[in-house]
Amino acid sequence: MMLARVADSLYWVGRYVERAEHVSRLADVMLNATLDRSNAANQTARIALGALGDTVTASEQSLYDAARVLTLDLDDANSVRMTVASARENARQVRDQITTEMWERLNLLYLRVTGDAAGRAFDRGSSAFLHEVIADLHLFKGAADSTMSHGEGWRFLVLGMHIERAQLVARLLKAAFGEGDLGGNDHVTLMNVLRMGCALEPYLRTYTAEIEPRHILDFLLFGEEFPRSIRFSTARIEEHMAEIASHVAFAGRARPERLAGRLKARLEFTDLEELESTGAGALLTSVMGDCSRIHEAIYQTFVAYPLEMRLPA
Amino acid sequence: MAEPRSTLETQTPPAAEAFYRPGVAFDEMYARDGGVRNHYGVMHDRLTTLSAEDLAARQSTLERSFLLQGITFTVYGAEATTERIIPTDLIPRIIPSQEWDKVEAGLTQRLRALNMFLADIYGEQKILIDGLLPRELVLGAPSYRREMQHLHVPHKAYANVCGSDLIRQEDGQFAVLEDNLRVPSGVSYMLANRDASRRTFPGSFRAASVRPVERYPDLLLATLKSMAEEWRPDPQVVVLTPGVYNSAYYEHAYLARLMGVPLVEGRDLVIHENMVYMRMTTGLQRVDVIYRRVDDDYIDPLTFRRDSSLGVGGLFNAYRAGNVMICNAPGTGVADDKAVYAYVPEIIRYYLGEDAILPNIETFLCREPAQLSHVLDNLDKLVVKAVGASGGYGMLVGPHASRKEREDFAAALRADPANYIAQPTIQLSTAPCLIDGKVETRHVDLRPFILSGEKIVVTPGALTRVALRRGSLVVNSSQGGGSKDTWILAANTENQPEPEGASA
Repeated sequence: MMLARVADSLYWVGRYVERAEHVSRLADVMLNATLDRSNAANQTARIALGALGDTVTASEQSLYDAARVLTLDLDDANSVRMTVASARENARQVRDQITTEMWERLNLLYLRVTGDAAGRAFDRGSSAFLHEVIADLHLFKGAADSTMSHGEGWRFLVLGMHIERAQLVARLLKAAFGEGDLGGNDHVTLMNVLRMGCALEPYLRTYTAEIEPRHILDFLLFGEEFPRSIRFSTARIEEHMAEIASHVAFAGRARPERLAGRLKARLEFTDLEELESTGAGALLTSVMGDCSRIHEAIYQTFVAYPLEMRLPA
Repeated sequence: MAEPRSTLETQTPPAAEAFYRPGVAFDEMYARDGGVRNHYGVMHDRLTTLSAEDLAARQSTLERSFLLQGITFTVYGAEATTERIIPTDLIPRIIPSQEWDKVEAGLTQRLRALNMFLADIYGEQKILIDGLLPRELVLGAPSYRREMQHLHVPHKAYANVCGSDLIRQEDGQFAVLEDNLRVPSGVSYMLANRDASRRTFPGSFRAASVRPVERYPDLLLATLKSMAEEWRPDPQVVVLTPGVYNSAYYEHAYLARLMGVPLVEGRDLVIHENMVYMRMTTGLQRVDVIYRRVDDDYIDPLTFRRDSSLGVGGLFNAYRAGNVMICNAPGTGVADDKAVYAYVPEIIRYYLGEDAILPNIETFLCREPAQLSHVLDNLDKLVVKAVGASGGYGMLVGPHASRKEREDFAAALRADPANYIAQPTIQLSTAPCLIDGKVETRHVDLRPFILSGEKIVVTPGALTRVALRRGSLVVNSSQGGGSKDTWILAANTENQPEPEGASA
């Protein structure tokens, strides 16, 4: 049992940390793509920016600026800098609930990306800068896994990560393949899509270097063992949701653990053939919608529940 | 017992390579003749072996560690927000055992008397009936809470956490400058500074045999629990914070973490039928003891300030009904009021029939016409303080003020004399500090922390606050002050009589 506000903050730490990692990776892949003088640069940028809901820009110079904005912008709540700041702000609110190992790692990252030196470090070597950010986020997650008790608070943290991750991967796949146009991207672009999903190496081990859109979809949607596939995330969401919900005497309408169970089942029982006949877009859209509904139901059930239902008899 | 001679004794003749010459004020490390005081011997030796670079490197390691731990306050700028650490000096201040024993006895006596005073003021008011203090001075103080009248407080422990400010006068004797009975802060710095100084000077720390401060969180928890154990076995304790934007938030989270109890904000609490609950994910859970780090004015908008969003409406009624303990009790401020302070030695005599072990600083009450005219005639020699203010605000340091500042203050004094007290300008003692890589001397005070619940416990440690500007006497962190660790030495076992039957 923990404070409702604390559970909410831990959940948001999970979401923001996941978002910061994803945006860092997309910015890095996009910048790396501009080094090639092929059409892949523009295609990659279109997918990356599309996956983040940004409009597509044209020249290489503006792609550098776009990546810089994604990383450091103070006005964009989804920039790496601002999401790390939000994660740290939430962690500070629950400083008594997380371990010193987690706090120091996140605080160090916060100091790195918000300090005066951040802009200079990015301009000196954007790739090195973004790699360090991603590595710090991994260290934070590792510290969370190996130093925090795997109780309710930890489950809210992990729940936040996986809900965020499922939505981000769904949006990435939609930007890449959502138009039903599976053949429109060249080989380099497809590799970049896998890189944006942090999936290139695990994919190669499963499918070899034959990179095909339908295999990418299969891997990132239905991969059972790959930790960034939507199926993997929805299974974790269901697992943690069920465990958390087992301690609550429900009275409300929204049942987040049922929604999570339904989403998990959909990912388990849909297969590629079915997807190819209907198009990936519809499934991806419904995954994003379900995640939003679970998010809302968590808030209504565990955080902002109406008091009348929980007053002591 | 003899005066604490060890403080005045020196180990060596004047050190050839002394870091500085002591001034008018009592210096913690060097005696008047320039010799090193006994209890500073180990530290002085260590400092002479370290180069300026060594010292600077250790200082920067310490600062980095504070930054990483988030022992900071936030400066919000246009381009970027900056985290600043509270300035911390790495050279510990050292207090010998016998001297501390007297401080401890004095603080215990003082808090016992002040708790009795509070119980009396919020009870029968015998001390006022006997005419020891002017009635309006107590009942007219803004910190007096009529709502507390006739409420039962277990163990008569009103001020569960007290942080008194002590200074060392020119003759080396400690005196009490101020009692803080409301929501004193700084104890997390005592603990963080200790952690840092152990790592900075491990060898000297071992050699000096320093008394531990690490039990503070569990003693605090036991104190808080003792306030409710009469009516609730194993009571649920929480720490109530104004939130993350409060400058002491780090401390609130730190204490909650080390006690292992929830850190709550006003919005987490719900009052239902005069019981206090906190909103958990699974529903409501009863709260029995609230260690509140929110001022009286803000804890309950229904009873105190209506514009407050930091507390929770109805909390005071739950308290009055005896269903929750608020620690410290509301209304303790009436006993640390700067005007009431002047009467504390008499308060001790009145309730305990003892002389105060720790003296007060001579204090002039401007509410008395004769004392006011003395103050106005001697503004250039006195420190004048507004009764209601704290943190170094609303204060005139006569000898350091300009003629214009003194004239402005004199006008304020005449307009509202009851609002001011004055004290002679005291040369706080000085202690060695690391300033820009060099060992220099700066003025310091001493804030020990005293817990009172079922019993009174003084933690053998303190926050030593430092006026970092050369010559400055103002140690408040809001006015350019810093802090450092304080080593209270264990009694020298070699000088203790052997227990009977012990073999050599």
